[in-house]
Amino acid sequence: MSTASGHRAVDPILMEIIAHAFVAVAEEMSITVWRTSRSTTVRELLDYSTAVFDGEGRNVAQAARMPVHLNSMELCLQEIIAHHLPLESWNEGDVVVTNDPYCGGQHLPDFIAFRPVYVEGERIAITCALIHHVDVGGGAAGGYNARATEIFQEGFRLPPVKILRDNAMQDDLLRTILQNVRDPETFRGDFLSQIAALETGARGIRTLAKRYGFATVRDVSAALLDHSEQAMRQAIRALPDGVYAAEDFVDGDGIEPGSKRIAVTLTIAGDTISVDLAGTADQAVGPINATMATTKSAVYYAAIAAAGVATLANSGCYRPIRVSAPEGSLVNARFPAPVSMRMLTGHRIATAVLKAFALAIPERIPASYYGVTFNHAINILHANGRRQVYFDYSIGGWGAHAEVDGPSGFAAGFHNGQNTPIEMVEALFPLRFTRYGFVPDSGGAGRTRGGLGLERSFEFLAERGLFNGSFDAFASRPYGLAGGQPGQGGSLSVTRGGTVTALPAKTIGHELRAGDILSMITPGGGGFGPPSERSEAALEADRKDGLVTSAGMLDYPGSGGASAPGAIGGMKP
Amino acid sequence: MHPALHFPDDQKRPESGVRIAIDIGGTFTDLEWADLATGRSESFKVPTTPDDFSVGFMNALTGAAERFGFALTDIRLVIHGTTIATNAVLTRNLPEGALITTAGFEDVLEIGRHSRKDVYALKPERRSLLVPRRRRFGVSERMGATGEIVRPLDALSLEACTRALAESGAEVVAVCLLNAYLNPAHEIAIREHLRRNLPGIRVSCSHEVSPEIREFERTSTTVLNALLMPVVQTYIERLRARMQAAGLTAPLYLVQSNGGATTPAAAALAPVKLLLSGPSGGVLAAERLADMLGIPQVVGVDMGGTSYDVALIQNGRRAVVAQGEVDGLPVRVPMVEMRTIGAGGGSIASVDAGGRLKIGPESAGAVPGPVCYGRGGTQPTTTDANVVLGRLGAEGFMRGAFPLDAMAARAAIETCVATPLSLGVEQAAEGLIGLVSARLAGAIKLSLFERGLNPRDFALMSFGGAGGVHAVEVAEELGMETVVFPHNPSTFSAHGILQSDIAHDLARTQITPLTPGSAAIISAMMAELAAAGRKLLAADNFPETAANLRFCADLRYHGQAFELMIPLDGEKLDAAAIAAIIERFHREHFERFSFDDRQQQVEMVTLRLVATSALGGIAARSGNALEGGAASARLRPIYLRGAWRDVPIHQQDALDGSAVIEGPAVIEQDYTSLLLLEGWRLTFTGGGDMVARKQGDTP
Repeated sequence: MSTASGHRAVDPILMEIIAHAFVAVAEEMSITVWRTSRSTTVRELLDYSTAVFDGEGRNVAQAARMPVHLNSMELCLQEIIAHHLPLESWNEGDVVVTNDPYCGGQHLPDFIAFRPVYVEGERIAITCALIHHVDVGGGAAGGYNARATEIFQEGFRLPPVKILRDNAMQDDLLRTILQNVRDPETFRGDFLSQIAALETGARGIRTLAKRYGFATVRDVSAALLDHSEQAMRQAIRALPDGVYAAEDFVDGDGIEPGSKRIAVTLTIAGDTISVDLAGTADQAVGPINATMATTKSAVYYAAIAAAGVATLANSGCYRPIRVSAPEGSLVNARFPAPVSMRMLTGHRIATAVLKAFALAIPERIPASYYGVTFNHAINILHANGRRQVYFDYSIGGWGAHAEVDGPSGFAAGFHNGQNTPIEMVEALFPLRFTRYGFVPDSGGAGRTRGGLGLERSFEFLAERGLFNGSFDAFASRPYGLAGGQPGQGGSLSVTRGGTVTALPAKTIGHELRAGDILSMITPGGGGFGPPSERSEAALEADRKDGLVTSAGMLDYPGSGGASAPGAIGGMKP
Repeated sequence: MHPALHFPDDQKRPESGVRIAIDIGGTFTDLEWADLATGRSESFKVPTTPDDFSVGFMNALTGAAERFGFALTDIRLVIHGTTIATNAVLTRNLPEGALITTAGFEDVLEIGRHSRKDVYALKPERRSLLVPRRRRFGVSERMGATGEIVRPLDALSLEACTRALAESGAEVVAVCLLNAYLNPAHEIAIREHLRRNLPGIRVSCSHEVSPEIREFERTSTTVLNALLMPVVQTYIERLRARMQAAGLTAPLYLVQSNGGATTPAAAALAPVKLLLSGPSGGVLAAERLADMLGIPQVVGVDMGGTSYDVALIQNGRRAVVAQGEVDGLPVRVPMVEMRTIGAGGGSIASVDAGGRLKIGPESAGAVPGPVCYGRGGTQPTTTDANVVLGRLGAEGFMRGAFPLDAMAARAAIETCVATPLSLGVEQAAEGLIGLVSARLAGAIKLSLFERGLNPRDFALMSFGGAGGVHAVEVAEELGMETVVFPHNPSTFSAHGILQSDIAHDLARTQITPLTPGSAAIISAMMAELAAAGRKLLAADNFPETAANLRFCADLRYHGQAFELMIPLDGEKLDAAAIAAIIERFHREHFERFSFDDRQQQVEMVTLRLVATSALGGIAARSGNALEGGAASARLRPIYLRGAWRDVPIHQQDALDGSAVIEGPAVIEQDYTSLLLLEGWRLTFTGGGDMVARKQGDTP
């Protein structure tokens, strides 16, 4: 199978030069957001992504950020073009923005903005910046309303609209948005930074077109997509043909009892891949549903990673991949199902697809990583009536790879990003951290060990606050592979007056009082290979570093288990 | 023979004697010396001795003394740029270290900021870890977010920690407590306790090394500092011993990452400040040359065998940033701002399975080197492409002393690039050169972009061994119209070091909203820093009156995480000065990021002071001493813009200072060549350096 597009042949050298320039433009946009944004979500966690599209809305280049964002941007743009704002209605100086999961978005906090770039009246590119905003109003600060049963309870929903026309901010519209969010000042700062990045990118593209000519840049864009497609097909051809079935689980939606199954049938045939999610649970009552933008994005991420393709990441890579999912299921939810916690389902779609790939290429696929982003937010109610929203997340350990242990506390899989420095949080919010560190014994045992999860605990210092958590993988632990054990699951608890109370994975509006200590434990990664085959040297190092305690050694037959000398690392007085 | 140094008329000639600069690089140890009585300066090269750099250091000194006829006792001052700290980190040739943190935060160093670089990789990338968990110890204590003591330092816990530290076998320990940048009391108490109880262990505290917010970056910097203390101290002691044994009593200074010099005593306490010592010499030289030529906006590029370093001179000053990175680890000390990409003369070209042409970052290095060196290299490199196209002469360097194998280079390009892409050999080689130029230009663009600057406002200054043949093409790619070629590109860095000043960086972090009323607060902070700076210079035996103080402020909009550095004039501010500073910040923000936000409060995060004292004597090189005949050039076929043509080849040392050369032309230098394209004109400056300018519009 090969591409059918019939553009002019492109000079391979010019193609390489312009490919670098496209990525540089996406990176320049990324720098603009990073250096000028206001919220810790954007500037410290780096919960945003930037990309460049061709004039028809096909993704040509990405800045290396969040796979979950990057692989869904094109779907969103195509949805907008097809059903809301056709390209003919876009003009120079416009910026189109939406956050609606039912218009191609994923969940309400993610605002996706696009700006068309024109050269001599012709549209040559579209620049895109996606930012996770701190709050979108609705039933819970930060957007994670665990009790929502329809999207209307999750916050402010903006259909695709032009927020800039002829380079002028539509103030009525902006004021309407700001009126509906809890922390308008922060929202406004991040939003301005997002809009500025689009122009930064547009400037870069215009320079490129001036230097090489409109036609060349357009032809190179098309050729780059074809090239990535070819590279992807070649990588797929190298995988063993077959049909591979796997499943993974989400704990549940926090409203109805029971875990939710994600079923994957992966078919590798020649140079194509198809992933069918039939057999997956029906859509949930609570907010863990995913729309197709999330689902496809997760499958694309897993397939590109598994194929091990070394090429420019762009939407050409998607062409050999077919994704199908039953309508009305957890992974293809119908309007108006709530979706704010779609990320925890998205992670498990990715890990389920990777598990299916492990049947085809066991030596290349690691055991499951922590499987969920520990998103949380506190609505801080100051005595003077001011609302302050603290949004943050935590991550856990990587799954073990056949050749190396999984790293502990390291961003993996479907997302990527930084932590917020403790000193930065404490300088801005009434919190004081009590621990941030590895959780011993949380990595799944195996010939190679899963990475350890993290504990992140803090004391609440203000008078009153409401805590929301969007967690998972408390019960459905990250799987091991080839005889390796699963990683330890996560947990959430609050300590008041010496009494520890466990909280559910989906928590909304849990009231915090001054002196309460909130403690989050994230899962460790799964192990790889039988634990009995772990080397003496590796066990000894783990013991010395306190990564595996004498209790944890029980998982390693023949290691001496509980009779081994205790750990001395990470000493706590 | 180099041109003579020039002393301005209003300046008394300094004492007689000799000043020495020594720059130790991967391959060569470069020495530049100046005769303080006559201003004459010369350079000298010996091979670097990687097993013990101090051997090469002394070889250079004694060799130069012998060659140029001065006695070691004539030497008044030795200034030294060293990569000893960088090499120790890159090769992990570091002592066993320990870390003391606030209890519960022992893992901050290992967690880092926890984002990965390759988002699609399933096999985890290597993470740099300097201290394993078994040697990270927590003490019970806590400072709050305003520097208040939340939990006093617990004596029992400190005892336990001290015992564990003693048993761990660590030679050095870093102490980094939460919020210690606001209140260092507990860090100081721990250091005192360790000094009394474990006097053999060196201690480095975070409030001294990097007194700024963000615990991971501060911890990483402090740990690097602790680990480098014995490395740098041993090195300095060895140098001193060798200098003494040779009867050399002149004071020694070391170049820091910010381009300023420091005393060995200060360097031994803050060795992390030496991490960019080596490359900063080139930037210093670029700054001086830019000043001499009266070109205030310069991009300095240093292209060697494996890498390309980009630095900026803005308004006549080198750009300094507050944080850099070594081997993936953040290092938060002021350093010359530099972007490095893996593109050099030895970068390897290939065609990937999908039929795309690639260049670098893999490099053939010094061994085997490019195919044309004939030392066993088989993969074509940038240098090979230059040789195939005649841009570098096959007779090679040093007037034929090092001939190049053009046929082998041609065969390699044909096999590895031309055939897979179905191109002619020349076409393929020219394409490669185009790709290299685009990558170099891309690196410059990103450096300028981060500061919101336009390449057209800058001149390019090219030095290092491999950059000359690419510089004009890179300038064209970026729309730059001036390219400066120093007369001594391969020893330019040592030349810069020869002219460095003593410099101390001081900073005070205190978030202060900029309002008319804040003038008094900031003026008080300035006075405090100024006093501290003068004291440090006095400790280096420089009179306070010789101190030169330059302030700047890190400003941002309230709520932002990153600041722009805005220079301040004088040593105190009034309300009008504050208004001017705010206006300047808005403008800079708009220029760099295409928007400003005049409704938002501007705040100062950190006040910075650079206190310098000139080492005196050498002003700037001038007075052309070029000798030689008229520009009599031979011709050589060179492949340019798709066709072979005969191009004049000039020898730099045969050119008259009044020569005017029109492109296309090649100027051959001792270790390298430069290529002038059609439409460019090259002239000499009084100092023997060359300036190429684009002439009008070219087809």
